[in-house]
Formats: sequence, C-alpha cells, structure tokens
Amino acid sequence: MTETTDRPDNERIDWEPRIAAFLCNWCSYAGADLAGVSRIQYPPNVRVIRVPCSGRINPLFIVKALQSGMDGVLVSGCHPGDCHYISGNLYARRKFALMKSLLEYVGIEPDRVHFSWVSAAEGIRFAELLHAVVEAVRAIGPATKMVKRIEAVP
Amino acid sequence: MNVRMLDKLDLPSLLERLAETRRLIAPVVDRTGARFAPIEDVASVRWDYRNTSLSAKGIVFPQTEPLLAFRNGEAEERIPETPSTVLFGVRPCDARSLTLLDAVFRGNGIDDPYYAARRGAITVVALACNEPGPTCFCTSVGGSPGDESGADVLATDLGGGVLLRAVTDRGDALLCDLDVGRPAEDGEIEAARENAAQAAARMAPVQVPTDSSRLLNAFGLNLWSDVAAGCIGCGACTYSCPTCHCFDITDEQKRGTGRRVRSWDTCAFPLFTLHGSGHNPRPAADARLRQRVLHKFSYCPENFGQAFCVGCGRCVDHCPTGIDIRRILARLDEVLATDSEVG
Amino acid sequence: MSEVQDRLRQRVAELLDGGTIDLFIGYASADAPLKTAVHVVRSSADAEALVWDARCTSNLAALLPDLFKRPQDQRDEWAAPRVGILAKGCVSRSIVGLIKAHQVPREALHIVGVGCSGVVDRHRAARLVAPAQLSKVEFLGDGRVRLHATDGSEQDVDLAELLLEGCLECRHPNAVLSDESIGEPTTAADGSRFANVKSFASRTIDERWEAFRQEISRCIRCYACREACPNCYCTECFAEETSPRWIGVTTEPSDLMLFHLGRAFHQAGRCVDCGACVSACPQGIDLRLLTQKVNEDVESLFGGEVGVSVDRLEPLLQFEMADDEGFMTEP
Repeated sequence: MTETTDRPDNERIDWEPRIAAFLCNWCSYAGADLAGVSRIQYPPNVRVIRVPCSGRINPLFIVKALQSGMDGVLVSGCHPGDCHYISGNLYARRKFALMKSLLEYVGIEPDRVHFSWVSAAEGIRFAELLHAVVEAVRAIGPATKMVKRIEAVP
Repeated sequence: MNVRMLDKLDLPSLLERLAETRRLIAPVVDRTGARFAPIEDVASVRWDYRNTSLSAKGIVFPQTEPLLAFRNGEAEERIPETPSTVLFGVRPCDARSLTLLDAVFRGNGIDDPYYAARRGAITVVALACNEPGPTCFCTSVGGSPGDESGADVLATDLGGGVLLRAVTDRGDALLCDLDVGRPAEDGEIEAARENAAQAAARMAPVQVPTDSSRLLNAFGLNLWSDVAAGCIGCGACTYSCPTCHCFDITDEQKRGTGRRVRSWDTCAFPLFTLHGSGHNPRPAADARLRQRVLHKFSYCPENFGQAFCVGCGRCVDHCPTGIDIRRILARLDEVLATDSEVG
Repeated sequence: MSEVQDRLRQRVAELLDGGTIDLFIGYASADAPLKTAVHVVRSSADAEALVWDARCTSNLAALLPDLFKRPQDQRDEWAAPRVGILAKGCVSRSIVGLIKAHQVPREALHIVGVGCSGVVDRHRAARLVAPAQLSKVEFLGDGRVRLHATDGSEQDVDLAELLLEGCLECRHPNAVLSDESIGEPTTAADGSRFANVKSFASRTIDERWEAFRQEISRCIRCYACREACPNCYCTECFAEETSPRWIGVTTEPSDLMLFHLGRAFHQAGRCVDCGACVSACPQGIDLRLLTQKVNEDVESLFGGEVGVSVDRLEPLLQFEMADDEGFMTEP
C-alpha cells in the first residue's frame, strides 16, 4: 500500500496525453456537443469542464490543471462580439494573453496551453481543434514541470 | 574530554573524511548569502562566514515535513530515515537553539518521533564567533560567542589553526574516531577562551526584561500599537528565527490517496488565530507582536525555564519594516522599571 | 537630503499640531546597516525621528488599506483617520492604484510628495561583502558609499551599484499625486526599461526553466513580498485559501512556483515596480524577474502606464475589440 502502482507518465510506454478543456457553455461546449451528435470523431483525450463563460475562467485554473498533472490545457469561448454575456470573452482574452506569455517565459512549453474561439455552429472546427491540440501535446510529451505529486512522499 | 588543535591546511581533508563517512551539512555561500547545505564537494564549505541567513532549525525541523501517507483508508507513518550526520560550523546561538527546540519537541513527556529521528542522528560541531555581527545580542539572553550548549564539539578559529574541544561524549567519540589533529596546548586553549571573551566584550548589550512573570503585566500596556505600527504581518522574523517552532498540519489528497504534511507557521500571520466564524482574537498587528514577544520572553520562561531567544539578530536583519526586538525589549524593561502601577 | 529631511520634520509637526492629520507615515532610522524602519508619527514630538534618504525602501502605501478598515470590535464610534504619508514617486503611484481600487479614500489622505534619487537594495550590498556581513555603511557624499564588513574590510562603491534595479529604470521619481511637496523635483532615471526581462527572455527554454526553478527554490513562504506590496490588500489571499485550495502550504517546487506565478499575475496592470518586494524578501529572490515580465506585456499589449492617472481604468478592467490574438491556437 505504500508503493504507488502508478508510474510517472514520462516512464510509461502507453502514455496518452490528458487534456483539460474549459469550454464556455453557450458556444464552445455547444460546438463540442454538435460534433458529438454529428458523429464527428475527435480524440478521447480531452476532459471537458463546462463553464458559463470564458470570462469565468480564473487563470489559476490553467496553472492548477498543470500542477495536477494534466499534460495540456485548452480554453475555448465565443468569438469576440458573440459572447452570451456581451464582453466576458473580451476580458478573458487579455487575461489569457498575459498568463500564456508568463508561462512560456518561465519555461513551460508553449504547446501545453491553448486558447481558441469556437462557436456553437462549429462542430467540425471543434474536432479539428482537438486533433491539433492533442497532437501538439503528444509531440512535447508528458507534463513534468510544475507537477505536484502528493502520492510520492520524498 | 579531548581538546585538539587542527592546522587550517588539514581542514579540507577532515571535511573530506566527514563527508565520506557521514552526511555532512555545513555552510555554503550563494546569492542568498550563507546557508546550510548537504556537502558533496568540500571545496564549497565556507569557514569564513558571519552567520547564515536562515537558522539551523530546518535541519531538525524542516519547513515542509510529510508525516503520513494514506491510501484508501489506511495510513502509514513516514518517520524519516536519517543517516548519521555532522552539522558542521553552526554558530553557538544556533547550537544553543537546538537545546530549546529539544525542550519543546522532546520534553514534558513528549517525544516527537520526526524531530527525534533527525535530532538523534546529528553530531553538532559548533564554530565559536571571533566577532559579533551588527545585530547580535546573544550575551544579553544567556548565550555567548563561545557558548557550548547544544554543541557536541566547539571549534574556534585561531587563525593558523582550529581548536576543537569535545563538549559531550558524542563529540569526544567523533574527535577520537577521526583522530583529528593533535592534542591542544594550554596556550591555545586559553587563546580560544580569550577570543570568545573579546567577541562578547565587543557586543552591544541589550536591556532584556528577565522577570518573566512581571513581564506579563506588560500585556495591557498601550505601547504595543506603537511598536507594531510598522508590522506588516509576514513571517520573515519567525521563519529565520532559530527557536520559533509553531507549525500547521494540512492534508493533501487526490482521490483517496494523499499525505499529511507539517509546515512552519507563524503567529505573525493574521490567519494564525482566525476562527472559522470569522472572528479573530488577535485582529491587528499590536496583539500579534505582543504575543510573539511575550511568548518568547514570558510564557516560554514559565514553561521551559528559558527565554526563547538566542540573540542571533536575524529578525532584526530581515524585518522588512525595521521592527527591532532589541528596541522593544529595552522599552519594556524601562516601562516595567519606572511604572510602579505596572507589576 | 538633510535639508529636505529637516523641512519634512518641521512640516509634519505643523500638520499634526494644526490638526490637518491624525497620523503621518514615514521612515525612521533603524539600528542595522542600510535599514530604515516604518515610522508612524502621532504627535509632533515624534516627527524628529523622521528620515528621508537612500535607505527608505519600504512602500509606505502598503500600510494604508488597513488604516481604513473598521476594527471588528468598534461599530459606530470609529471614523476614518486623516492620514499623512511621505510619497516618493512609486509610493504615490501605488496610492493612485489604491484609490482606484477603493481601498483608500482620497479625501482622507494628505500626501507629502518628495523627489527620489533611488533607494538601496540591501541584498546587493550584502553580496559585495559576503560571506562577511555589513557592519556599518557610510554615505560619503558625491554618490560614494563606504561599506564596512564584519571581517574588518572596507570598500568604497558608487551608490548606483547599490540601488534597487528598478530605481535605475524609474521614470517617475516624483509624486504624481500629492497635496504638497518637499524639496526639488528629481530627474527621471534613464536605464533601459525591462532590461532584466529582455535578458531572461533571450535564453533558451531549458535555461529559463532551470533559472526560474532555482531562483524560486529559495522561497520560504514568509509572504514578506506580498505583505510589503500595496497591491496585496486581499483579506484572503489565493495562496492561503482552502476552498478551493489553489496551492499547498509547502516549500516544494510546484507550490513555490504557483505562488509566485499567481502573485505576479495578480499584479498585472497594477505593479509600479517600487521594488519593495525585492527589498523585503529575506532570501534575496529576484521577484522583478516575474513582475517586470507581466508589466512589459501589459504595456506592450494594452498600452498605458501604471498608477499615473486616477481616471484611467486598470488594463484588466477594460478591453479593445482589436486586442491581440497572436497567442491563440487555430486548428
């Protein structure tokens, strides 16, 4: 019971990227839903977290996801001008630009964190986006920087 | 007990032998200033430092210490396996602080197994001070530049050589085991005593209230909001202090697996006494600073027989807003002496 | 400097005696080399202890928000104090930020502006004498400083070598908002802005990660940086929240990194680069490495200067339709 049977991801040969996707309810989540009902295939690597608006997303969610061991983070909202709450995504855009820049500056791989706009009608685009994100994360390997392992006691 | 003299040129090889046979922790110098670190390359050991930025307490009482691991309802203690260690070159104030921490973690019927494991594995080779630092005041709180308490061996730098005096059986055994240097001559032993005495004489004295129960009467005085006016409620003083020992315990878990961690805490944080209801019995810095000072100079003397301050001066060095415990103590001493209504 | 200091003491005594203010926040000498203490003056006799020189590193604005919070045990009988404060350029810009954030009422402040030629970074001085410690520091005049160390050594250096790095780039040495001024205005510094950020950014990704990890590894979670910062006035900091718990309380690398990334990010659009955090840090961590990166991004992406205008909305509280989208992923 003291030895964890989970090996760190970067030692597993069957590793698959785990992506946390924060999707706004009105546009991106609906777009993902459309992909689903249209039977458009997209990678199963994504864990979706539905939020009311991309503006609700605290930039700390992104860092927290990386700390928890997610290999990649995707944040997606309505196109500028189309926000269900008028301007939530416009505030979010500024926050996300800063957080992404800061993370890359300290040495987090740029392809760990992705932002996009996907509307409710863009089921195909959503699937394409996910393919792109999963492959980008697969190319850079499992996340090891900033991961906090609480199972392993030093 | 052995008293030996080691030529300075032979110091590196002594350190080599220590590092080979034991875990060696000694001072190194980097961007932070001086600090204690496990030594792999003995060339990195600095003998010529004044004092470390942080105290030595982190070696026996780490800032982050996992206590238990748990999984699906079962828990297992994680007592650290500590190899035989030599803590080399610690100043007498820090060595003395270990005896105070012993009273907390291993006294009054308590024997903290985590502390005991680390503490029991250590042989302390203290380095006497040849000059005081600008904020040192050990002589005003029961210590001195040549104090032996807490040390297993007390070393003194005499210029060309180092005098090593065994203080405990453990220290004696170390000196014998390593066959260090040659027996010291009386003149050298005297020189070491002189060094320490001169360093003590050059240290500015601080008025310290020594009647701990009378000091309690200072609780109701108005001066606290004045002395605490600049206190911003950080932990710089507490975390650099050799004798502060409060801690917090948190559980970290993920889906039934996790650990319980002990970490340093400080009464200077407003959060320290914040109740779940939102009420805070120490709502402002005046009450918190009062608690810190009285804890060190009144409550601990009552509980442990000694003030919990070794006069290292780190809190004075590190306080971002210039709060100076020496000034606070002097002021308290004056008020208690002159105000007949108090005490 | 000493003329300004004398005038300051006189003026503060006048303000207190005249009833214009209830208390004045300034600096006093401390009994440790290169340090000053924060000095809160409530009676005119105490004004004599006020000093103003290159040792005055604290950002005094950090003390303001708490002065305007009603104590928990007082209800109707509490009234906001009238607070005087000595404001060099960065302090006044912090005050502008606090006013905009509704943390201090403008009408309760009496700001005494003073021109600043830069303040010292104790860590830089300490590194020049390490592993000995500073025992005494003499300001020789003519911009020269004599450092005495505990090993008996002495060295003379230019004051410029001891200044906080941010002071070398400071474009606002004089108060931007004040009720009166003491002394003559100082000229702005001409150091290249964001020099440290540009230098860091030019390194490879692996070098940056290693340097970041190492720099932050010295952190002891004392929160001196946070408490010294006027912008950190939250009654509950994300670093200590338990529901949700953003980060642990440990000093393990991941927790240290998340704390500092979070704190730097929370400064976006608000940090005036006063250097109080760097000065306060007992471990000498170069926090400006992070805060200046955020400052540079805010300036280049969204424009404007921090803390100069009480009327300008903070950058993160506004948006432009044409805001940059270069960071986004297109499938």
